[in-house]
Order: sequence, then structure tokens, then C-alpha cells
Amino acid sequence: MSDATTPTASDGPTTTDTAPAAPTTPVAAGTAIAGTAIVEGAATAKRKPMPAWMQSKKIQPIISLILLIAVWWAATSANLINSLYLPSPQAVWHAFIEANSCRPASAGSSRIVCGEQQYFLWQHLVVSLERIGIGMLLGIIVGVLVGFLLAEIGWLNRIILPYINFIRALPPLGYIGLLIVWFGIGDTTKIWLLFLAAFPPIVLATVDGINGVNRDRVNSALSLGASRPKAFLFVVFPSALPSIMNGIRLAVGFAWTTVVAAELNNGIPGIGALAYLSGTELNTPLTIACIFVIGIAALLLDWLILGITHLVTPWVGKE
Amino acid sequence: MSVNVRTATVIRRTAAALLAGATLTGVTACGKMPTADELVGNTSGAAVTECPVASAKNDKFTGTVRIAWQAIPNADLIVKDKGLLEACLPNATIQWSQFNFGGDVIQAFGSNSLDIGLAGSSPAVRAASAPLNLPIKVIWIHDIIGDAESLVARGGDYQSVKDLAGKNIAVPFGSTSHFSLLSALHNAGMNETSVHLINLDPDKMSAAWTRGEIDAAWVWDPVLSTLKADGGTIVTSSAATAKTGSATYDMELATDAFITAHPDVMTTWTAVENYAVGLISSDEESSAESISTILGNSVDDVKQQFAGYTYPQAKDQSDIFHGQLPGIFKATAEFLKTQGSLDAVSGDYASVLYTDAIDAVAKE
Repeated sequence: MSDATTPTASDGPTTTDTAPAAPTTPVAAGTAIAGTAIVEGAATAKRKPMPAWMQSKKIQPIISLILLIAVWWAATSANLINSLYLPSPQAVWHAFIEANSCRPASAGSSRIVCGEQQYFLWQHLVVSLERIGIGMLLGIIVGVLVGFLLAEIGWLNRIILPYINFIRALPPLGYIGLLIVWFGIGDTTKIWLLFLAAFPPIVLATVDGINGVNRDRVNSALSLGASRPKAFLFVVFPSALPSIMNGIRLAVGFAWTTVVAAELNNGIPGIGALAYLSGTELNTPLTIACIFVIGIAALLLDWLILGITHLVTPWVGKE
Repeated sequence: MSVNVRTATVIRRTAAALLAGATLTGVTACGKMPTADELVGNTSGAAVTECPVASAKNDKFTGTVRIAWQAIPNADLIVKDKGLLEACLPNATIQWSQFNFGGDVIQAFGSNSLDIGLAGSSPAVRAASAPLNLPIKVIWIHDIIGDAESLVARGGDYQSVKDLAGKNIAVPFGSTSHFSLLSALHNAGMNETSVHLINLDPDKMSAAWTRGEIDAAWVWDPVLSTLKADGGTIVTSSAATAKTGSATYDMELATDAFITAHPDVMTTWTAVENYAVGLISSDEESSAESISTILGNSVDDVKQQFAGYTYPQAKDQSDIFHGQLPGIFKATAEFLKTQGSLDAVSGDYASVLYTDAIDAVAKE
């Protein structure tokens, strides 16, 4: 920051504007100059290139991860933070391993305990993935069908769409109680909740996708003799597909954010329930391990959906 | 033509991707997930093979019992861990569902998802009063809450409840602790406006404690131990308020429909729980181990927690049910009414107590 007054920095119009005001409002001027300096700093960095290995696109995220863990480890091993609030990386790793293995109930006991809450961590994850999978599948089927209907039939759109937006805005914790009273404490309630979280974004994306289809394409297919159903299947649907896939991607994100609410009651096995229960027991290492597992699983699922999107809409970005 | 071929491929690929996803979820969704013990063939568990209460064994009942349990160190967890109910009802299907709060158990009773379940005395009274008036009965007392729920305050400056005037006290509203706290305030000649009450779930209390946002909390383990270790001292406890007529309990509730249809199952259930209560004093080590495997804490922790509760056997329960319990329920209902948690206090709470099974087991 000390080189903020170098000639290059004062070239910028922002600096010239704020410089006269500096005596009266030194703080504001300081920030403005500092901001310019950072931009300039980035420009000079270009002239001295980073070592080749640091420029690799694959290495950069890994370096950031290692740095993050190193800072985390340093902060916890220096006892800067109460381990109840931020346990060390080793404790989280230990909780993760313990939740996936068997161990004696207590030192010297012949009783062997496996996993956490009677299930291994990966089993909790698989069950949650199943619930999300079923909820998403129903959300995709119903969402795309409803989306098509709403896009094609104007009066239906005007009647139904406000309700879809209404559902979309509801916080899941607000109505989970209602679903429990209606459908009980079993998996039906959980899948309903995940479905209700997933389906509005898919409907909206489908409607947007179909409304955005180039009318000239449809009309030219029709004038070349295509029937209406054929034009729909081969022109409208593929053109709307990128938007629908985008909606599905957003919907999976909503489903993940809803999974803890869905599993609050009678959610074991389930990763959301495990994260919540371990929190109520002040077992923060396990809570953080669960959060990491949920985050990584969500990233992988997102990556899978992106892959499917590229597979089914290979023309996107090439037209 | 080429466009047609391309889109046809796209549709085929979409269908294939959807199908793959569907089969992936379908593979495991059909069957129930096996537990970790079943998966690795761990047979070191404590499950018994023979019903330990031979006279209570019932192999005629072939239905399903849907049970709500909570992570509270009492005999119910021994019954669950040792598989006592499964052994004594060998032809029944037993479904155990975990709940975190009595309020959630009441909600599940309301949706007809349970046959029997554990709740504290405050939620139990709420369920049995207007506006809910759920068709349920109280069938068992798991424990009388003593030092397990205590008022812990920061530092050593607070000798009595009176010293906490104007301070921030955290408690989960609607819980048995809330009831005990208000009783303690009343006994000290104060009321809920004399202090600043904060509704807080136990797991959020230690963070608020460290930041100095609360001066005291009426709470149970593991948070109670955490706050004590973080410079807290015990001011009073539910054991003290119980002596002044405001006892709190963890109880078992059952639906009227289930009791009417299967009185024999109720007797078996009661006999099994009574046997497990006996185990706490006769075989403390194995009882504590059973509970610690479920709670995820150490055997020594559980032994310490035992001291915070009283576990009455069927004989004592028979006296409590026929004696002071209706009066305590009425007092609890009157307290809950002042909190707006219920609309009306019922005239007679003896009618929500089911004593046939307790009396039968007490005679044995």
C-alpha cells in the first residue's frame, strides 16, 4: 500500500478526483488510492509471470485448499479458538474415520460399536442421496410436464404460475410440520419436501426455455410439412432443453439445502439428520465432517449433471 | 434430415441418462438400509436372545409397534439396546424412531404415526389438554428429573435464584426445564418479568454463554456439563423444585386405540421396562454401557448422569399414579395455560393415566 502515490497510480481518473479532497476526508481518499494500487499491482504482476507450476489450472484450487487447511490447523493447534466451536482438522478427520468404521464401545470393552447412530457415514449419505434422487425424479417428471402445459396454454399459465411462485418462496422449515401431520413421519414426508423444493425451479426453467424458442425455427419446420407434435418433439423440446437442464441443476441445489429440514424428524439414517443430531450433542467434529461430506457430494452431483447436460445438449456454445 | 438424426440421438441419450438415474436410485430404495452392525456382521451387540421376563413373553401378538424414543439416559435405551422388547414380543415388528423434543413426539401422535412414545411431563400435559385433547394416555414414568436439569450461572456470584434478578436466563420454552425455572422463580417470590428469559435450544447455549449473551441457563447434559466446565456454578436444580410440588418427569404415552386393542402388549411393555429399571441398580456397568453406545458418550459419563434422575419401579409408580400425579398434572397445566401453551385446564387428569399394566406388573 505504501506505493499508492507512485506516478502510475495517480494516472487513474479516480485518484485525480479524490486527491484534492484528501485533507478533509483522509480515510475515503486512502481507500480509493489503495484500490487503484491493487489494480496497478495486478498489472505489474503480469510482467513478472508466476512459475509455470503455479499457473496450472489444476494446481491453483489445490494450493488454495492446502492453504486453507494449513491456516485452520495453525489456528486450532495454537489454541486460538475453543475446540468446541472449531475443532482441529485432525479431530474432524478422526470423526470421519470413526463414523465409517467399527471400534470398541469404551477402552477395554468387548462391545464393538459400528458407525454413528447405528449406520456408517456413507450409509447415511446413500440414504439421503436416495431421497434426493426420488424427490428430484418426481420433480423433473412433474416439473417438465407442468412447465410444458403452462408454456403452451396461456390461461392455465395465468392461473397456476402464481401458486408455483408461492411454493417457491416458502421456507421448508415453515411447512414441514404440516407435511408431517398429513403424511406421517416416514419417508413420504421427506420425499414430498424434497419434491416441493425441486419442482418450482424446473417448472419456471421449462416455461422460460419454451418461451425462448426461436419462433422462426418452429414456423420453418411447420412450413416444411412437420406436424405440430413432430415440431414440438424435434424443434421445441431440444431448443428448450438447455434451459430445462439449467433448472434441474438449480433444483438439485435447492434439494440439498432442504435435506436437513426434511430429516429433522426420524431422519436416521440420513446425512442431514446426522449433521443435526451431532450438533445437538455438541459433537462438532462430526458435524463438520458431515458438512464436508454433504458439500463434496453436492459438488460431485453438480459435476455429474453438468456432464449429462453436455451429453444431451452438445450444441450449446457451438451455434 | 441431419437435424432429425441429431435430435433423435439427443432424445435417446436423455432417455438413457434418466433411466440410468432411475435404476441407480431404485437399487437401494426398494429394500431397507441394513444397519452398520448387520453390514459387517458385528455380533458383539448386547441383544438378548431370550425374553428375560418369562411371565411377560407374548408370542401371540403379530402386529407392529411404532415407538418414539429420545436420547435421555433412562431404562428405555437399555430396552432398545438389549432388544428386550423384540425378545419378549418375538412375532411383532418393532419400529424405533428417534425424536429430539417432546413437542415433535406430540406432533407425530397427532399425525397417527406412533403407538407409544416418550415425552416430558410438560408436552404430555399439553397433549392431554385443550385444544389438542389427543386420544392418548400416560402409561409409565421413565424417570423423575432431579439434578439432571439444573440452573447453572456464570461465576460464583449467584448464590440463589434471587441474585439473578434482571439477568439473562436461557431455557428451551415449553420444556420441563422451563416449567422448573418458573416454579423456582415463583418460590423465590419473583416472576418471569423479574429476569430476562431467552428461548434457546440447548446446543446453541454454549456459544451464547462464551459470548456473554446469557448469564444463566436451566438445561440438561451434555450442555449442562459444558457450561459447568466453562466457569459455571449450579444455583438450583429440578430436584429442588420437585420438593416444592413441581416435579417434572420423562414419561411414556400410548394411543387409546393401541391400548384398547392390545392391553396384553401394554403389560408386556411395562414388565420389560420395569425389568430394565431394575438393571440400572443391579447391573450398573452393563446398563451404562448400553446407554453410552446409544448416546455416544463414555460409560463413566452415563454413570454420573444416573445420579441426576430417579428411576421408579412399577410398585412406586403405582403409588405415584394413584397418588400425586393427577395433582401435579393439574399444576403443570395451569402453568402451561399462563404460558399460552394450552387453552383450558382439564377438570380431572386421572382420566389420562393408564394404570392397569402398572398395577398388574407391581403385583408380581
